[in-house]
Amino acid sequence: MSNRTLTLMMGFVAFLILAVGVVFIAVLATGGGDDTGGSDVPASGSTPTKKSSSGGGICDGDKLVTFGSDPNSILDPIQVRDEATSEYVVEIFGGLVTLDLNLKVVPDIAREWKISDDGRTYTFKLRDDVVFQNSNRRVTASDFKYSIDRAADPANGSPTVTLYLDNIVGLKDRFNNKATEVSGVRAVDDTTLEIKLIQPADYFLAELTYPVAFVVEKDQIQKNPRNWTQKPNGTGPFKLAEFTPAERIRLVRNDRYHLGVAKLSEVDFELGGGSILTRYQNDELHIGAVPGIELDAVKSGKSPLSADYKPQPRMAISYIAFNPEKAPFDDIKVRQALAMSMDTQKINEVLFFGSQRVADGILPPDMPGYTESVSGPKYDAARARQLLAESKYAGKMPRIILTYGGPAGDAPDLLTAITSGWKEVLGIDVELEARDYSAFLRDLRKRNFQAFDTGWIADYPDPEDFIDKLFYSESIQNEQGYKNAEVDKILLQARSERDKNARFALYARAEQMILDDVAIIPILWPVDHLLVKPCVKNWPQISMTIPKYRFIEIDSTKK
Amino acid sequence: MGPGLFGYVVRRLLWAVPVLFAISVIVFWILRLAPGSPVDTILGQRYDEERAAVLNRKYGYDQPIYIQYAKYVNNLFHGDLGVSTRHQDFTVSEVIWPKVKVSSELGVIAMCITFALGIPVGVYAAMARGTFLDPLTIGSWLLLDAIPAFVAIPILQFFLALKLGWVQLGWEGVWSPNIILPVLVMSLPGVAGVARFMRASVISVMNEDYVRTARAKGLKERTVVITHITRNALLPMITVIGLSLPGITAGALFTEQYFGIPGIARESLAAITAPDFDVILALVLFGSTLFVLANVLIDISYAIVDPRVRVGARRG
Repeated sequence: MSNRTLTLMMGFVAFLILAVGVVFIAVLATGGGDDTGGSDVPASGSTPTKKSSSGGGICDGDKLVTFGSDPNSILDPIQVRDEATSEYVVEIFGGLVTLDLNLKVVPDIAREWKISDDGRTYTFKLRDDVVFQNSNRRVTASDFKYSIDRAADPANGSPTVTLYLDNIVGLKDRFNNKATEVSGVRAVDDTTLEIKLIQPADYFLAELTYPVAFVVEKDQIQKNPRNWTQKPNGTGPFKLAEFTPAERIRLVRNDRYHLGVAKLSEVDFELGGGSILTRYQNDELHIGAVPGIELDAVKSGKSPLSADYKPQPRMAISYIAFNPEKAPFDDIKVRQALAMSMDTQKINEVLFFGSQRVADGILPPDMPGYTESVSGPKYDAARARQLLAESKYAGKMPRIILTYGGPAGDAPDLLTAITSGWKEVLGIDVELEARDYSAFLRDLRKRNFQAFDTGWIADYPDPEDFIDKLFYSESIQNEQGYKNAEVDKILLQARSERDKNARFALYARAEQMILDDVAIIPILWPVDHLLVKPCVKNWPQISMTIPKYRFIEIDSTKK
Repeated sequence: MGPGLFGYVVRRLLWAVPVLFAISVIVFWILRLAPGSPVDTILGQRYDEERAAVLNRKYGYDQPIYIQYAKYVNNLFHGDLGVSTRHQDFTVSEVIWPKVKVSSELGVIAMCITFALGIPVGVYAAMARGTFLDPLTIGSWLLLDAIPAFVAIPILQFFLALKLGWVQLGWEGVWSPNIILPVLVMSLPGVAGVARFMRASVISVMNEDYVRTARAKGLKERTVVITHITRNALLPMITVIGLSLPGITAGALFTEQYFGIPGIARESLAAITAPDFDVILALVLFGSTLFVLANVLIDISYAIVDPRVRVGARRG
């Protein structure tokens, strides 16, 4: 009996193996038939053309294939909090104003605006020809009123609304459930929207370019509160055709876009990661990324990829910060000594083949209001040793731990290079300690660290976003606990200064004082290393996430 | 299935309940007590108490742990695994099932290939015992096993995709030629293990009385090897196959990373770094359920094929 069962089982296993094998080979032979994905959106006949595995297949047609990261939140403008997700959201949605390729605030749905003399009332005149992508409804002022009310509704838990829009009268009250609407936003008529501010702020318009202020469609959200983001009805240059987490985001052109219809019919973001460089070389992607080990060859022109290399500066900074209340950093001489013994230039040459930008100040060069003359302590080993000898910790240096967020194990090369430089020049041992990222953030807020490695990415192109947010003594983002009454005074003055140049001059002054205090040691203004196929025309080099794909086209004559 | 076997199966399945309960409690508590939470990550450097309070209320993290747990279990019984904090417009089931499907499809294909190659290779090696062919066969498969995936994959990609242009590297679903490479990388390294196990098993039956009897009866050597030796040597393979069943759905991290496969390993990594509490919990519970079930299945199949196990079960 057991023999018969055994025969049966073996037969079954053999059958399974055979069946799978046969199906497998059959599928391979026919070149892959049924796609289980079930594409319900017309794919503009793009699927059959992927046969050609080499040659200029991807440069025919007007579809761009690039890599992207899995969004960290849903594609709801009020939930967006990171660059990766905004990349998609700024293409799908739109707001009153937007940023152009020069990072200037320009009209989007608002045609024009008036600012009252006290700088507290903004009256926006809206275009009357903007419709939502998937319905024929026109966008009116009350849609903006709804969108801002919705963003402030605590039940929706937007992580960014009080960050960008808390200057609007009544927004904080709505967020804390003390009011049922945002009193400072009023739809005067269909095409007139009025927004009242608590304080005049020159950078308010820049803040409105952030997704949290974008317009969303009320009917759709009320009909389908949980899933509407899988097929959002926005006003941007592209529509979301498909979002499969960890796989793909497909955007298709919005043929009624009011600022100029996109030239590409479709943009595909491959979220799988995978071997991006190999796939780029294999003509599967229009946009690729250069991994660290290839950087030298690609940059120096020795690689066939060199012609496609496009460095992409980012409006961001990485820096080392100190807690000025903890020994030994309460002594400015120690901070100066550390700053002056950090040879970032050399580190950049050795580790990154000179591809990053050494930060000698806080504001990145792409930032409006960047002043070249503002700079921190320069590398000077002798002076650094002298300063250390003069400090009150000379010869009795306490244990120093530099904490960073990330996985445990080998510390990032950059930090290892910095600490070994300190050891070499000053003879100081600085220990590196990794902390799981979200725990790192939590301890950062408690100001638990002596010294830490962190960074900042611009939310909008205004120096206020760096200088005030990171160094005003009361600011939540002032993680290093920097406090300078003089700097505070300048920052407050800048907030209400209405003349742009005068305002930028104030920030430059504050920035120089912060650098002189060595509140932080700037390390790098990062640069991304992209590869762009020659047939991709008008790829813009911008340091921020803005709607850019509508400007790009594919030129099939250039292969 | 006799009544004894039935009772045995029921008892084994009942045991799974407290095991899974204990796992869920431990994982739930560990996640909540560990430093860092989804809200920390969501707010990042923009954290402030007001915003955090609003978000904690939204996700229910403001309640005591045991209430959160009770709610979780209650929802679980209603088939609701919770909501992903990364993709709030998808339920946890919508997030993980497609990935389980992808990983298990790939896993089954890879496993079939592994065993389909490993078993004959093992039998062959055992038959060739004493000659250089035995170590040569096993050794060459071991060599494949010894190459780490993160070395093998770029090399294979370079030659097969870039140089020869045979395949593309993008993800286009399981049933596309692009999965040849990932499947090879997942299946070939396992062959050596299966082959060695099979070889040992064959050698241990080779000298049994019934094999000698079969030969003495004058049966053809092929018949002896296939029906008398291989079939009996396959018996211990049940454990190996059974225990590799849960592994099928576990996915293969390097393979998934290098080929951009939306599988369960990449999802787990993303969920843990987020951290995405409900997804992590669902993944752990899913994995442990499979493991428990696989063990039960192994015991049952032993009970079926080997009456001695069942006799023991009836007594105990």
